[in-house]
Amino acid sequence: MSGPTREATSAAALIDDGLAADLAAASLMLARRFAAGATLWCLAPSWEPHANHVAVEFVHPVVVGKKALPAVALTGPDLVSTVRVSVRPGDVVVAVASAADPAVRSVMRRSPAWGVSTLWIGSGPRPPAGSADHVLWLDDPDPRLPATGGFVLLYHLLWELTHVCFEHPGLLSEPVPECTDEVCVTCSDEGRLAEVIEPAIGGRSLVRTAEGEETVDTMLVDPVEAADLLLVHAGMAISKVDEELDR
Amino acid sequence: MTGPETSEATGFLYPFLEAAERDHDSLLTDLAASARAKAAESAALQRSTLAASAELVETTAAEMARRFARGGRMFAFGNGGSSTDAATLAGLFARPPAGRPLPAWSLTADQAVITALGNDVGFDLVFARQLIARGRDTDIAVAMSTSGSSKDLTVAFAEAKRRGMLTVGFAGYDGGQFAADGAVDACFVVRSQSVHRIQESQALLGYRLWAAVHEHLAELGERQ
Repeated sequence: MSGPTREATSAAALIDDGLAADLAAASLMLARRFAAGATLWCLAPSWEPHANHVAVEFVHPVVVGKKALPAVALTGPDLVSTVRVSVRPGDVVVAVASAADPAVRSVMRRSPAWGVSTLWIGSGPRPPAGSADHVLWLDDPDPRLPATGGFVLLYHLLWELTHVCFEHPGLLSEPVPECTDEVCVTCSDEGRLAEVIEPAIGGRSLVRTAEGEETVDTMLVDPVEAADLLLVHAGMAISKVDEELDR
Repeated sequence: MTGPETSEATGFLYPFLEAAERDHDSLLTDLAASARAKAAESAALQRSTLAASAELVETTAAEMARRFARGGRMFAFGNGGSSTDAATLAGLFARPPAGRPLPAWSLTADQAVITALGNDVGFDLVFARQLIARGRDTDIAVAMSTSGSSKDLTVAFAEAKRRGMLTVGFAGYDGGQFAADGAVDACFVVRSQSVHRIQESQALLGYRLWAAVHEHLAELGERQ
């Protein structure tokens, strides 16, 4: 690549109707999670100052009178372990990272087992569909974008819209999924993701799922190791989930 | 910053209005429209800021390039969100996506130094004392701020100026103390009343400054 060139993308021009709708939906989710007691955990492995900036926006709002909300930047080595020990079911993780970031990919893949909602902010090639609950993406492949204010605009808007949602308390309770069918994914036990906490003793392993800790039968998938991801059905681990299945 | 929480303080007056609200689709439509309007406002401010600052970017970048060419280094700092923008700018100089890396650091990176100074000599000196320890007359001090008047930043600029460093300030509103103060050699002012919109324009200005420094460094190299 040659030296830096002068023209820089104004990310504001990249916020089209699709991204505006994504921001709106992400903000309503975040406001609802905060209203229910969530903490927002902020990651940006390649550009750590962005993680700090997101957290300080929520903890110490620049607009007088706006509510201070629990948000924490997680930085440093072994980020997946740091996130694992920090998050509780109902929390939200926001990552500012490229689609290729290995730590963020791992966190996103594990999030259903931890019971957390996820937001992924980035630019360039998109992460695979379904990688995060909400993807706020600037499709411009310019590698200089992280330093031109594009991400700052996105998380400023996320903060601003989240606080607009707080002005509508009637909309902050999450709709309870109705259970009418005989087989319902929400309340039947159909293939939940679990992460191994302690490997099997006699074919029974302690795992973590969105509902908390439980012991499951791992006879079908043994041997298992701590941090392995399993698919659990009716108290039985029925398969291992490959860490990099979608690569 | 804390203050009266207006919506919560007055919410009890209208319990039926808010509790009855169930129309998310209309809220989502409003939120998306608001996102686009704010993004357009941000883009317009970026355009007017870059146009108003074009000449200052050139002269400042030329002087920064001369200093980097003579072995000068850059120290960037700020408070709160601006400290993170300053860290991002230092990272752009030191670990660029293109071009040669230049020595630059964020002065908020070391929690031991920040808390030692804050606790022992007071927060107003957290950056000035680091410049006393590290700064040389070929170096560059860059502070990012929205008010342009934070005491720890103005004290640091006074110290940097005394030591012969180049002082570069980013401010919002009317430029605050940075614009009024003789200690700031180059003052970039983003003329807005919104902290968020100011920071978005400052990020792009910082990027432009970095790109211009590299152009001037290339010219210096050709002249030798």
